Amino acid sequence: MESQTSKSQAIDLAPLRAVLEEKFRPRDSQEAQELIVMACQEAQALYGWVPPEAAQCIADHLGTTINRVYGLLTFYADFRTTPPGEHFLWLCGGAACYVMGAPKLIELLREQYQLTDHGVSPDGKLTLHIFNGCLGVCDLAPVIQVDHHHYWGHLTPEKLRDALETLRADGVAEEQTHGATE
Amino acid sequence: MERLSSRQAFDEYVAREQARWESLWNGDQWVVSVGISECSIAKGAEETYRHLSLILAQEGIPHVLRRVGCAGWCFAEPYVEVRVPGAPPIVYAQITTERVPELVHALRQGNLKPEWALGVRGEQGFDGIPPLHAHPFLAKQRRLLFADAGVIDPESISDYIARGGYQALRKALFEMTPEEVVAEVKAANLRGRGGAGFPAGIKWESGRRTQAWPKYVVVNSHEGEFNVYKDRRLLESNPHLVLEGLIIGCYALETPYGYNYIGGEHALALKRFQHAVEEAYALGLLGDNILGTGFSCHVRVRTGGGAYICGEGSALMYAIMGYRGQPRTKPPRSVEEGLWKRPTVLNNTETFANVPGIIRNGGKWYASIGPENSPGTKLVTMQGPLVRLGVAEIEMGLSLRELIFDVYGGMREGYRFKGIQMGGVSSGPLREDELDVGVDFDSLDKAGVMLGSGGFVVFDDRICAVDFARFLVAFSRYESCAKCNPCRLGNPALLEILDRIRYGEGRPEDIDLIKETSKHIIELSLCGLGQVAPMPALGMLRAFPEEFEAHIREKRCPAGVCPIGEPAELAAASAD
Repeated sequence: MESQTSKSQAIDLAPLRAVLEEKFRPRDSQEAQELIVMACQEAQALYGWVPPEAAQCIADHLGTTINRVYGLLTFYADFRTTPPGEHFLWLCGGAACYVMGAPKLIELLREQYQLTDHGVSPDGKLTLHIFNGCLGVCDLAPVIQVDHHHYWGHLTPEKLRDALETLRADGVAEEQTHGATE
Repeated sequence: MERLSSRQAFDEYVAREQARWESLWNGDQWVVSVGISECSIAKGAEETYRHLSLILAQEGIPHVLRRVGCAGWCFAEPYVEVRVPGAPPIVYAQITTERVPELVHALRQGNLKPEWALGVRGEQGFDGIPPLHAHPFLAKQRRLLFADAGVIDPESISDYIARGGYQALRKALFEMTPEEVVAEVKAANLRGRGGAGFPAGIKWESGRRTQAWPKYVVVNSHEGEFNVYKDRRLLESNPHLVLEGLIIGCYALETPYGYNYIGGEHALALKRFQHAVEEAYALGLLGDNILGTGFSCHVRVRTGGGAYICGEGSALMYAIMGYRGQPRTKPPRSVEEGLWKRPTVLNNTETFANVPGIIRNGGKWYASIGPENSPGTKLVTMQGPLVRLGVAEIEMGLSLRELIFDVYGGMREGYRFKGIQMGGVSSGPLREDELDVGVDFDSLDKAGVMLGSGGFVVFDDRICAVDFARFLVAFSRYESCAKCNPCRLGNPALLEILDRIRYGEGRPEDIDLIKETSKHIIELSLCGLGQVAPMPALGMLRAFPEEFEAHIREKRCPAGVCPIGEPAELAAASAD
């Protein structure tokens, strides 16, 4: 299962409260219910996961219960209810990436980095989400999005290992992604 | 931007923006447009944009630098379109940041760099460079929805209006009744582009018939199906086209409430559609008393949290309401009782994008495009080891073989075509000898597969049919909402059978077992996910029976992919 990181800091709820006050002002309870998932997404963006304190804060602000919030956090795959590692690897689990070799990447991550879906590596540096969907950049298949920003495309197990080692040494590996198709 | 409050104000605004657009393209400055969308950003388009900005300023070249959307030619990204005075706009392919200086200097010296050009934007070629529409990727396309993709700035409502945007809304508001709008959509025979292919006009009519208020009109932009990204690109390249369709839909249903439910992971699509909504409010095309007609429309954007099942209509509505997205039985249909138990009309992004064209040109015009029972154009995305990749817009009915080998260029060097997976996870594959079929709802249904939302995956002979079937069924198994037994229990069971076969523990009776299990899941599941989850397994079995036989009888995987012969940790494998 997932390994917890050893650092457990107190969560600073101030930024979350600020966003909720500013952008989440439902006019009625109907609208409030429509906003729960989006409030959780704000928390996820701020903290990298949705800590119980944040879930309670959201529940209080929108006039619902923490149970309702957890019902959503445990159903929707985007949410983490445990802290992430330092770097976020979003591996595309679509069919194009499968056909172009993603299974070998998943195998490498599992065997050499002890990383499974939603897991954190033992050294706390890497988090992996295998996205059961499509990142929409199929011509870079197989592809991983790193830290919500960089794309490692046309990966092979060797390229992935090189990129990961650079990342763990606290660099950022900008992989080649430019047209290999024509 | 002042708020327009009458038809006259709108017409005056249109005239002003058209004039601005004309002068942009006929002045003494370079007009440089960079395609910025999720796909091109991943390839360095932002760096290209910044470098261009620097160099054009440094060289003192009078210019306008614009950000446009994805035009579908992902194989040519990052792309830059340049219009230098005296020449038509020319699209250049694969202009990474390294190539920017050379391109700018060449153009400065009158060298149009034909070797880097994708084509000329115009009717004819120029100076030896052929027109875009002659490019093999584009030659067999018919771009109605994507006509302005890559041409307009998706974050500019004035660009959209200069190119004829919101004329359909104007016509609907001032020249048509809501019933007439529905009649046009019915006459067009616009079938839902989200996969089900249900006639939109009939759905809108049913929505009107239910006597309960308020009503809701919802755009389904969830797009959780993998290898389908056409809705994302639509929202990134021309969000106002979808918004206009939504507002017209609200007018037709006589309701002020519109929603767009966008998958949470589609960050740029979300941003651009939100921006489009804000611009529309600012200009007065959303809000109360639009253009003085008394019709009000308010649009809310809601995001998904990562659950494929939320693309299903009833689940989507539960998701919007802040519940776990689990589908329900029907009746009642959503047009009777949907969002917040009110009549709700839900259609796919692409379906709504077709509406403005239908209103402007008439339903009959639309119905005349493509086959009679499946008219219009379709956005398709095809991937795999092909020469060209991207989003194409084709007339319904184009031959699948032509789509693969002409539009997408066929297989890359060193790869041999084995099959093409149709309909995402909802259908089976077609072999090389089965490709002479039209790409439309009915022809593909007859061929035993499904058009779905238009995502195709070509695979070569390094792929094992059994392993691929396992992958596709696993997707549905994990996305199952777990509400009903046939799906929640049936899919893992099906997966176990496939895993046994992969590990070399298949038995001769497994073929019949697959068929029987699949039949139960399909016939007994509550919603569309369960009802199609086993289709890839059945499809692969139908198309590649020898491969299944080899695994079972000879304990051999012809493609060399499956862990046959390895110690079978089956329980772990199927639980993974």
